Amino acid sequence: MRKVLVIQEDIIILKILERLVRLNNFECKAIRSLEDLSIEDQQTNFDFIITDILFEGIAPLEFVAQVQEVLLHKNLLIVTNMGQDKVKKEIFALRGITGFYAAPIDLDEIEAIIQAY
Amino acid sequence: MNEKSLLLFISIVFAVLVIYWISIAVSLIYRRRRKARLMKIEIIFADIVSRYLYNDPVNPLTLEEIKTTLRNVGIRPRNKNNIQFVIRLMIRTQRTILGSNFSKLQKLYAEIPPYGVSIKKISSWSWYKKARGIREIYEMNQSQYFDEIFKYRDDKNIYVRREAQIALVVFLGWESLRFLPYLKRNITLWQQIKIVEKLYDLYPKPELKWLHRAYETEKLFGKKLLMRIIRKYELHEEIGFIIDHLNHEDYEVRETAIYCLQTFAVSSSTMAYIKELYNDIPNATQQGQLLNYIYENSDIDLEFYLKQLYSNNEDLKLSIAEILWNNGYKEKVQEFYYQQYPKASLNVG
Repeated sequence: MRKVLVIQEDIIILKILERLVRLNNFECKAIRSLEDLSIEDQQTNFDFIITDILFEGIAPLEFVAQVQEVLLHKNLLIVTNMGQDKVKKEIFALRGITGFYAAPIDLDEIEAIIQAY
Repeated sequence: MNEKSLLLFISIVFAVLVIYWISIAVSLIYRRRRKARLMKIEIIFADIVSRYLYNDPVNPLTLEEIKTTLRNVGIRPRNKNNIQFVIRLMIRTQRTILGSNFSKLQKLYAEIPPYGVSIKKISSWSWYKKARGIREIYEMNQSQYFDEIFKYRDDKNIYVRREAQIALVVFLGWESLRFLPYLKRNITLWQQIKIVEKLYDLYPKPELKWLHRAYETEKLFGKKLLMRIIRKYELHEEIGFIIDHLNHEDYEVRETAIYCLQTFAVSSSTMAYIKELYNDIPNATQQGQLLNYIYENSDIDLEFYLKQLYSNNEDLKLSIAEILWNNGYKEKVQEFYYQQYPKASLNVG
């Protein structure tokens, strides 16, 4: 089964994204920080990782770099409250970012990407 | 102090300390339990919202189930703090979501229990509660309470009318401008910016009909607000309203007009009109700002700059001379300065 990892500190967004993913027939692992990852998760190749970039103790770009380095994945979607143009440009300057969605987010767009996969 | 009174003193101090420790312990336990309770409410709320937005046809979430779940977690009329916490969660969620899910959330908020709390706040004597209630209602987009909020648009309390005016913008959009000529109390700069930003976020497509009606306003704050709206939306066809206020008698209106004008580039005929108005501005600093605008947005008009150089306006002559000097008219500047000292002889060595 296709697998998605959702990482969001905001429990409400986390649950909504988890629900969205599950109803689209994906297996979903929803966590609030990288610390909640199990060893098994680190060996899984996720079809999508949907993550925030704002976490305590780590810079946004560093976090994205860490996710890209540590976790196997095919697509990386950023869903965040940090929607400033500068942040967006810096994120897209990194390679391998599939999409960037800043709050307020239209969940239909994210659903469309997942459905099209 | 004898032994007996010393013992009494020690026992009193000890008793005070014990009471103090007990109160700390009670406070810590209460905070811990409260934190756990709020966390539980947040998780339950997140679960309800996610299931409501993406309802599973096999196991659909009913409204009755939502109400029961919220009641079980402590969202009851007597638990005002819990209700307030849920309202904060509701507002936070609504701010994060757009599109069809936003409408679904609005529908949900209209049906779940805490919703009546905000409207009750509006009837409160306290301005703080009143303003907070208005804010909660417009943040949750509960437009059915519009009439209740509407009457506070010109309230004597700045915070109440501030929130009511924002609510007007949220619910009516551009149409809210039609009330502008009738407002009597000042709209501060901060409030003007808030209104413009809110309008731009929620109603990005301009409706000029309402803007034109609002032009009737005689209030200075109204004129400033309209100029800021024109600037924010980059309404080039409305730039005349800004230009007409360049020579307004009020300092702040002129200041806003000059500030807003700087966003636009204008045609040469409009620039010629601005140059005519330049002389009517009674403040040298503002004239200097407009001079910079004219210099940066038009070709060098020798006649205009020379006229200013030979005028009585001493404050700006140096700036004008600098413009001419840097744009190939050194001899004109020299000529101007030499003619001030007709009898002086040149000492070239």
